[in-house]
Amino acid sequence: MAKTLIIIPAYNEAENIVRVTERLIRDFPQYDYVIVNDGSRDDTARICRAHGFNLVDQPVNLGLAGAFRTGMKYALRHGYDAVVQLDGDGQHRPEFIADMETKLAQGYDIVIGSRFVGAKKPHTLRMLGSNLIQGFIRLTTGAKITDPTSGMRMFGARMIRTLALEINFGPEPDTIAYLIRSGAKVCEVPVVMDERTAGQSYLTLGRSVKYMATICVSIIFVQWFRKKVNLQKEANTAWL
Amino acid sequence: MAMTFAFRVLLLAAAVLMLWLVLSNIRRAKLAISDSLFWFFFAAVFVLLALFPEIAFWASRLLGIQSPVNLVFLLIIAVLIWRLFHLTLRLSAQNAKIEDIAQRMALDANERESKQ
Repeated sequence: MAKTLIIIPAYNEAENIVRVTERLIRDFPQYDYVIVNDGSRDDTARICRAHGFNLVDQPVNLGLAGAFRTGMKYALRHGYDAVVQLDGDGQHRPEFIADMETKLAQGYDIVIGSRFVGAKKPHTLRMLGSNLIQGFIRLTTGAKITDPTSGMRMFGARMIRTLALEINFGPEPDTIAYLIRSGAKVCEVPVVMDERTAGQSYLTLGRSVKYMATICVSIIFVQWFRKKVNLQKEANTAWL
Repeated sequence: MAMTFAFRVLLLAAAVLMLWLVLSNIRRAKLAISDSLFWFFFAAVFVLLALFPEIAFWASRLLGIQSPVNLVFLLIIAVLIWRLFHLTLRLSAQNAKIEDIAQRMALDANERESKQ
């Protein structure tokens, strides 16, 4: 049976991390997890140590993509077959991981936990951005991804090396689009997400604009010029 | 001096060169896509000015600059100075981060060694 690692990127999540992690340990002991503290300025790391949680403590802030890649490198070193990202604020519910694993076992490389499979998106600015990215991915890859910005994604064994070690493979929609073009099989499973109950979101308004511009330019323009990823390539043993 | 045909071709050539440089470096995994965004927009402005020199004429009249070419120069210099400043800020932040990482690693190693 394939072993799944849950990556929990945490930036200033002192108010949430205990609740999120203890629920995971209590109700979902079948999964391994690793908390990646992304150079938090609050007590996140100290609290994790005090509770004996499995913690990778980055000395500096690398941003969500950097923290995710730290988790991916952990997965690579420990030889996991599947990795799923659960946000440290608890908005992603672990009960949907089993559905994602089922899809992975059916041969998919990436499984996205989607809030909008068969459901309408609310009319907010954020969802306008989501629709735009969905449209661009449809246009360039033909794939229908209803929730491209969902942070709850599961990656199979073939994806881990690329996501851990290569530049320009952050956990973002353009990476998904690009991996589809490189031959990765992607699907979605319906999930429910909770609103964050405490703490600050990564994405501020100023960052959102740059985020949207980068993702859109990357999907509709840059990807035509990138080298396709070799999904069969083995990881450099220096990392194992 | 007005925007001559040769000058417009020069702008276009510069944009093409810029795009080629940026894309080939992304291809060789040496440039982050998020960092390339500026260059795409910069190249787009070059193309825009080359194809529609009326923009430079209109803006130079508005600002009271005698020649549209001078406005193009001014624009390029201003954008580059702004960019340079942001790069300086980023460099400072990175230096601070690297220093912090190295110091923490060294202090952690010292703690491990003194425990043994």
